[in-house]
Amino acid sequence: MSKKVAIIASNGGLFDAYKVFNIATAAAAADSKVAIFFTFEGLNLIHKQAYQQLPIPSGKEHFQEGFKQANIPSIVELVEVAQDMNVRLIACQMTMDVMNLQKEEFVENVEIGGAATFLHFAQDADVTLTF
Amino acid sequence: MNTDKVLDAKGLSCPMPVVRSKKAMDEIKTGQVLELHTTDSGALNDIPAWARSANHQVLDHQEENGVYKFWIQKG
Repeated sequence: MSKKVAIIASNGGLFDAYKVFNIATAAAAADSKVAIFFTFEGLNLIHKQAYQQLPIPSGKEHFQEGFKQANIPSIVELVEVAQDMNVRLIACQMTMDVMNLQKEEFVENVEIGGAATFLHFAQDADVTLTF
Repeated sequence: MNTDKVLDAKGLSCPMPVVRSKKAMDEIKTGQVLELHTTDSGALNDIPAWARSANHQVLDHQEENGVYKFWIQKG
């Protein structure tokens, strides 16, 4: 029986995005079932416009060059990889209501759900992570 | 060593070597062997860890001019 990995993404910077999607895709590559719950600023990570240009923490801009040199895939590519490997992407309904965001503003095949949707998946997860 | 599929993942960084390896494993049968080439030094630990998680077996590995080669049998 495959393992389950439940991830909460609640921050919206570039570094946060790499933490979330690297772990998620690596877990999916090891045949785990993976779901990510995107809440508050975490919604940036799957927002069609925002995820193309996520902010780097101030003072750390020079790492941009390091990402290029190390041939790190872009977040857009990693989201595509995640979806290709059937990682579930769940956008938090409540945050969407607060921020007046519509489903169409997110990447394709995002599910909309609340805390209960995520908890239902997470309650028997083998690994639970928050970023 | 007998190899059923060769995967060139040179130049790719974490997590792509394991992502590509998973894809390659999906294309071969149980008992067949994938030969992986990677330049990611993290792969030295990552590939064996991934293989254990995914029920595959690393049969052998070598390093040659900065290229790590793994022979992984599909479980």
